[in-house]
Amino acid sequence: MSAYRTGDPLDRRRFLTAAALRGATVVGSGVIGATALGALDADAAFAAPLRSLDPAVADATFVEGRITGIDGGLLAVAGSWGTYARVRVTAATSVWKVRATTADAIATGDGLYARGVPMPDGTLAADAVWVNIVHLHTTVRGIEKTRLHLAHGSHEIVGHVLADTTSVSYSGAAPTADLSRLRIGQDAQVLGAWRPSDDSVELVRVSVGPGAGHHR
Amino acid sequence: MPDRAAAVGHRRFGRVRVAGPHGPAHDGRMACGSTSLWNGEATWFCCGNAWGPCAAAGGGACGTCKSSKLQAAWPNASQACWDITRPDLCGEKLPRRGCGSVMKVRHQCSGASVCVTVSDCGPRTRSFCSESSCCDGTCRTNRVIDLTPAAFSAIGSLSTGTLPVVIFE
Amino acid sequence: MSPAVTVAVDLAAPLLALVLGTAGAGKFFGRGGPRSASRTALARLLGGGDRAARALRGLGALELLLCAALLALPPSVVTGGAATALGAGFLGYLGYARRAAPGASCGCTAGDDGPVGGRAVIRAAAVLAGGVAVALARHPWWIVVPSHPAAASGAVLAALAGAVALAPDRWRLPWRRLRLRLTGHPLDGTRAATRVPVAATVELLERSLAWQSAAPLVRSALLDHWDDDGWRILQYSGVHGGGGGARPVVVLFALDAAASRDGVREPAVRVSVLDADTGEAVALTA
Repeated sequence: MSAYRTGDPLDRRRFLTAAALRGATVVGSGVIGATALGALDADAAFAAPLRSLDPAVADATFVEGRITGIDGGLLAVAGSWGTYARVRVTAATSVWKVRATTADAIATGDGLYARGVPMPDGTLAADAVWVNIVHLHTTVRGIEKTRLHLAHGSHEIVGHVLADTTSVSYSGAAPTADLSRLRIGQDAQVLGAWRPSDDSVELVRVSVGPGAGHHR
Repeated sequence: MPDRAAAVGHRRFGRVRVAGPHGPAHDGRMACGSTSLWNGEATWFCCGNAWGPCAAAGGGACGTCKSSKLQAAWPNASQACWDITRPDLCGEKLPRRGCGSVMKVRHQCSGASVCVTVSDCGPRTRSFCSESSCCDGTCRTNRVIDLTPAAFSAIGSLSTGTLPVVIFE
Repeated sequence: MSPAVTVAVDLAAPLLALVLGTAGAGKFFGRGGPRSASRTALARLLGGGDRAARALRGLGALELLLCAALLALPPSVVTGGAATALGAGFLGYLGYARRAAPGASCGCTAGDDGPVGGRAVIRAAAVLAGGVAVALARHPWWIVVPSHPAAASGAVLAALAGAVALAPDRWRLPWRRLRLRLTGHPLDGTRAATRVPVAATVELLERSLAWQSAAPLVRSALLDHWDDDGWRILQYSGVHGGGGGARPVVVLFALDAAASRDGVREPAVRVSVLDADTGEAVALTA
């Protein structure tokens, strides 16, 4: 398993791709079989018993706040209501900041939500952290090539369009990279990453409803 | 990954319930409701004087809403609330459940569930009529409940945005 | 007063009439009723949406009346004083609204949902200043306009520019829409985009049976993703087994990189579970 252990991320991805493609194939409502070398017994793996396991995250603890310090994989977090927490980020922790990324992208001053397991030493071993993530109900007030002007309650928010990331879901359809059907006046739910430096938002996914803006 | 191993080992020795900041509703699986109330899409929102654009959200319609608590916004928390959310425009005649009402929200497919207290008014159902979230071929239509990040992340990923849920009380 | 200022002051009456007429008609004929009135700070002042709605309607009637008086009567201290009083009243109300109900709509121009902002205050101040000008004016507008056509059209243009700048956001939207229609949609370049966003692949996965089956193992959110030879690989971390046998695992899903749920109803998803320490496949039946 040298390719798995190697420090080279490309080698590692190549190894994981091969492993992923050897996996059992699940289509719709049934398993249609595992490919060669499949270590999974497909039927056993995806039959009812697995579903009866405990839901993955029900025993999780949650931390919210601003990051005040970063020491290796340990984040110091000041909660918005005066609490303090230390959040441990490991190689098994998913880090979201605009996209799936690594702990290197986290900066002091960022806002954080983390879900994980409380450890005896008082830290939270994070399963997942979401950095600066926001989910806002807004109205589109203006459209430009690189940004949207959004009204969020009584506040105006600038939403930056990211060429390789921003997607829009129109009327519940699958997210698409086609942003040309956005209209001024539409109600839009915005999933994005808040930028602490200028209080703007990087747009990741915008959802607009059918005939949004017409019901009043 | 020594840290990870420690976390896994910690799980290994049984479920440790840490008295978290969430109070008695911390355990998503405690019996907080078994009578079916509604089903639909769950989304998430932030509240309380927290970081980012959330700072302006305040304590919500009930004055008690905090992102780090297991709480929810319900479209019919009051008449004034209903006038804003108008779920009836999408055909949803949701019953009135005021501030402090307790509900169990269960992910339709994974079974993960969380107990929440109604602490705000939302989501704006009327803006997203007929939108649906699905899993394994079953879809839940219309946004009927908004969860705090603490509650939403207990049954799904925040970067997903919407989940199909069944609600009990 | 210089001649230009005199003309401007004499023209204040019709311009003020235009402002009051639009705002008054919106309040008097508006269909918002108690529901939208209840979102204004006036509701709080008068103790209810119904009373606030009646008060707004009454105010609308007053504004229309004043508008008619400004247009039909020669300028006088009476009409000017009435407009000045109205502007002062608006300013006082806005001050109250900002303190009493910071998030409430002002109800200033009927249907304006936004909270009290700087533009509403400037509008009220403009009404007050207009009232003072009418009180100071010496000639009726129907005499001034024919004799000073250039000054009159200049004043109208300046007033229109001011109206656009001070208009509530809702009234500016039609202009912005028109501008987009004339200049083309700024994001038209993305129309031909064929890239399937990762969000669409994740959504496809989360709606699949494969996800439902493997979800009990998964602890993290999306950890990493990459495309390889037409496949999109999504990586999660998790825990397999309970009690003493619990092990950290890597959970991998492979989907068609070009598929989203718009084109595919039942995606084929390949699922693998590897031991996180050794990279060896985990037999889930253990």
